[in-house]
Amino acid sequence: MDQDLSLPIIDLVGRKILIVDDDRINLRILGGILKTERYNLTLAESGEAALEAYAAQRPDLVLLDVMLPGIDGFEICRRLKATYGADSAPIIFITAKAESDDVVQGLAAGGVDYLPKPFKPKEVVARIRTHLQSRLLVEQQKHLVEQLSKANDAKNRFLGMAAHDLRNPLASIRGLAEFLSDGTVGPLTPDQLDLVTTIHGASQSMLDLVNELLDLATIEAGELKLALEPHDLAALLEKSVFLNNIEAAKKQTKVTFSRTGESPRPTIDQAKIRQVADNLISNAIKFSPPGSTITVEINGGPDGFGFSVKDQGPGIPDSERDKLFKDFGKLSVKPTAGEKSTGLGLAICRKIVDAHSGSIMAQNLPHRGCEFRVTLPCPK
Amino acid sequence: MKFQGTVLLVDDEAHIRKFIGLILRQFSIPRLLEASNGEEALEIYSREKPDLVLLDVNMPKMGGLETLKQLRVMNPDCVVVMLTSLATRQTIEEAAELGATNYIRKDTPKEEIAAALQETLEANFDLSEENPPSHEPHP
Repeated sequence: MDQDLSLPIIDLVGRKILIVDDDRINLRILGGILKTERYNLTLAESGEAALEAYAAQRPDLVLLDVMLPGIDGFEICRRLKATYGADSAPIIFITAKAESDDVVQGLAAGGVDYLPKPFKPKEVVARIRTHLQSRLLVEQQKHLVEQLSKANDAKNRFLGMAAHDLRNPLASIRGLAEFLSDGTVGPLTPDQLDLVTTIHGASQSMLDLVNELLDLATIEAGELKLALEPHDLAALLEKSVFLNNIEAAKKQTKVTFSRTGESPRPTIDQAKIRQVADNLISNAIKFSPPGSTITVEINGGPDGFGFSVKDQGPGIPDSERDKLFKDFGKLSVKPTAGEKSTGLGLAICRKIVDAHSGSIMAQNLPHRGCEFRVTLPCPK
Repeated sequence: MKFQGTVLLVDDEAHIRKFIGLILRQFSIPRLLEASNGEEALEIYSREKPDLVLLDVNMPKMGGLETLKQLRVMNPDCVVVMLTSLATRQTIEEAAELGATNYIRKDTPKEEIAAALQETLEANFDLSEENPPSHEPHP
């Protein structure tokens, strides 16, 4: 994302500052220096009074003398941090010039800065402005993050609802088009068949998109629930390969999978991992040139079991690698027969694999094509 | 193998009734009745005593689960298959507890729907040519 580096203008007039010093002359000097800034100043002459005033006022900034009768400045600072945590106002210590140990101790107690006595008016004004601004920026940012997160939830709910209502009509359009094209309701002319096939293809890709949007909305809303049980990985892959070969045959490609040795039984949500396998294999088919082969293999190692899908397609352009697993991250590489892709499939795969505490990665192969590798944690 | 009985298809969406109706053609069902809501389904059921009810879960006003409950009151042995699209596991379990025989996802390809219907018919009815439906119409 592009960043705007200029600071937004934040109005500092009327911001509340608590000044704690047992020396009335210091209080008066600081009041005089800050007069033109038009802050809302509260003064306290002891540690106890400071804690009371803080609780009552909730200032935006505290100027705190180190040497106070009773509770000293460091202790006040620690108590404020302990009581108000990350929300507590920034604390600037007031120290005598030579007290460099104080400075270190003050910063360690949670202070953000120090003002050496005697005061230099311009320095005092500048430091206070800077700390007030950064404090207010952090608050603004928190507020923004909250709003964004609410907006994101609303978007997910909307996506969910829209996708829900689109799904049934789309499934019917697809199904009815199929009935027209397979001659169930009578023969069609070649032109009519061409139109109906187009309707079928378009409704199929819309349905895919809607399904993927729904998946994404479910996952993002934190509603992805895994039904975990040990499952025969080879059996799962065999089914996926068998069904995907139907589509592959239409493009004169083929998907091979050979079951060797004993099949691992990782603890997985069978339907979800099947969805990942289907997605990786159908992607490989989409991007493979006619006559090529897609190889599905089981991998096992100390880190866990998994599988890989290798194709002989164009591979992933280096400059686009970081887009690969992101929502709507379509690459410049195009499917070889004009198939549609939503750019959501791999993002969903990654989220499913993440939910399994597994990993998914992609790499280009030395000569041609690329490999997607999924690793699932070892059964305990 | 042939199903000789009457089927009642209940769904509020006309396109779904049309789609499922076309799938049912391959089973040469002698009599297919349709209802577009729960109330209508109950009314037709009490009059026609169909052998098999295909019942949408998600309908406005009287939903599929409530309709199922009332169908079971009329005839505790009625064979009801729920039609779902995005029904949650909870809904499906609830339907099973209420006595639904099976559920079919109507948003899957027609071959899958046909296979699920075939399975339901084989599991619940005697499909040999000579016999009428094994489920006697309820008095």
